Amino acid sequence: MKLRGIIWIANIFGAISRITKRGSGVMVSGRIILKLQPNAVSLLSKKRKVILISGTNGKTTTTSLIYTALSVKTKVVSNYTGANLFAGIASALSKELSAPVAVLEVDEMVMPWAIKQTHPEMVVLLNLGRDQLDRLSEVRFVAQKWKDALVGLPKECLILADADDPFVVWAAQDWGNVLWFSSNVHGHLDASTCPACGAVLHWTHEGASYSCGCGFAKPKPQWVLNGDELVGPQNQAVRVASGIPGRAALSNAARAIVAATYFGISPRESGAAIAEVSSVDGRFAKLKIGNTNFRLLLSKNPASWRETLATSATGPKCVLLVVNANTQDGKDTSWLWDVDFTPLLDRYVLVTGERRLDVSARLTVNEIPHHVVTDVHAAASLLGEVESDLIASYTAFHQLAKSVVK
Amino acid sequence: MTFTIVHLLPELLGTYGDRGNVEILSWRLKQREVVHEVLTIGVSDQIPTSADLYLLGGGEDDAQIAALEILSKNDSIKKALENGAHIFAVCAGFQILGTHFPASGDRKIAGLGLVGIETVSAKHRSVGELLSRPTVPIEMLTGFENHGGQTRFLDDLQPLGHVVSGIGNGQGSNVDGLITPQIVATYMHGPAFARNPELADWILSRKLGKLPSLSAPIFNQLHDERLAKSK
Repeated sequence: MKLRGIIWIANIFGAISRITKRGSGVMVSGRIILKLQPNAVSLLSKKRKVILISGTNGKTTTTSLIYTALSVKTKVVSNYTGANLFAGIASALSKELSAPVAVLEVDEMVMPWAIKQTHPEMVVLLNLGRDQLDRLSEVRFVAQKWKDALVGLPKECLILADADDPFVVWAAQDWGNVLWFSSNVHGHLDASTCPACGAVLHWTHEGASYSCGCGFAKPKPQWVLNGDELVGPQNQAVRVASGIPGRAALSNAARAIVAATYFGISPRESGAAIAEVSSVDGRFAKLKIGNTNFRLLLSKNPASWRETLATSATGPKCVLLVVNANTQDGKDTSWLWDVDFTPLLDRYVLVTGERRLDVSARLTVNEIPHHVVTDVHAAASLLGEVESDLIASYTAFHQLAKSVVK
Repeated sequence: MTFTIVHLLPELLGTYGDRGNVEILSWRLKQREVVHEVLTIGVSDQIPTSADLYLLGGGEDDAQIAALEILSKNDSIKKALENGAHIFAVCAGFQILGTHFPASGDRKIAGLGLVGIETVSAKHRSVGELLSRPTVPIEMLTGFENHGGQTRFLDDLQPLGHVVSGIGNGQGSNVDGLITPQIVATYMHGPAFARNPELADWILSRKLGKLPSLSAPIFNQLHDERLAKSK
């Protein structure tokens, strides 16, 4: 069967899934496409410029911002709602066949496949840190997967990679065409040893730089984000504005501006479009439960909790934590003990989710006063008519984000 | 007398939240008004040899080898044991104490040799809930294991627990961890003391004698919930 016919059938099933409220239809249509044409992703990428985005944290936001930036000038397809596995990628590419550019978020472990299938024009590598260790295995293992996969890139491909992250640097450093980006992140929770040789990695300048006796060292970045000022290779400086709160979002906005410049879009044009984005796939969206106005924040691993807690600290006084441990969250909750919850001191803290007792034990030892409640509705009854942040792990977040009126 | 806990190399052996064990011990002592201190020993610090309790956590392959090099220096851990110290070791920290453990590329690394155990690479990683019946009079043990190695006893050693579900030391042994007069080791992350308050207190009391009772129901609730879910 011709690919267009397959997509047509897949879209019908996708629509049925949507109408019957079983799902968004994205996964169903993607699965059908791949079942009927296993090479669909390769075929649908052929006449397109493809950008792949991967990393432990910030994939969905960065993908959405790059999509927004490139959409200023051209038609773009994207899986910016976070469906970053095989079916989600196939489904995204099957839309708008005339769109010349595809911006694709890719799960870290799916990168080798995505690279082979799509022959990308640009690869954006964000960061690698501990995340769902029961599923994704240890960090260096993921970095090795990337390193092996990047060898297969088309030779003109440009990698935009994070110089602050030793694992990303090690994975990308052999590629001839790398643009190093730094947002002056200090230190790394998992990079105590050199990814290249295994010796203890020397962190200097208060965690702003690193090197090893074997020669491995932080590369000099071409693009640097200092505060909200992005400085490029010709020392051109641009102010970055993000409609999404937090340092991580600002850094992702800067990356999107950098990526867009290589597609002929000026920082002024892309920056203006990016600044308008205030919520991505439910992140920072508002959700009213009972009389409480919640702001939804996603947090999935120690690095993202640190960012989220810092961002939330400038928000409302009340905060509800919702932690599950399903497959997509990671079934091991040990990571809770790698997060310092002291930014929650002096706030009114409620805890729920399937693993609320784990969270409560952690907060008890961290000496953060809190209340454990059975679910979000009980939390809302207790909170009443107030503004509150709601920080949720992956599955809880997506369950709640479904209820957000778009 | 100040009770001194040494948290060894958390940058290297701290992948699975095991640093929580140190915080929990300190918290439990604080509630009981036991004077104590926690010394966190980083990669470039000298390891003290006169402290009371040393904690080693889990880590990745390279970090495990880097930690071993540091711990071997000046025989500091051996000297600490000679001075009467106790050790609580988890996962990679457990493996380091033995004669050998595996590393990537089929390497066999000589460990500290402080106990008669040897760890080899397993075909499949052991990942999931670990439930065991302890060999000492405390409640059932619950944790989350995630390790690529399996550990066998070379000597006649007492395990920490008999595995009810999960793998533990593996190799058909159906046991988890070990107990010697000065060392307790396990494959339980979770971290172990969060889910097993009686284990935390039992380890403290081996060194400190009988402790006053402590009401901290959240840890017992967490223990009971995890136990119920693992069955």
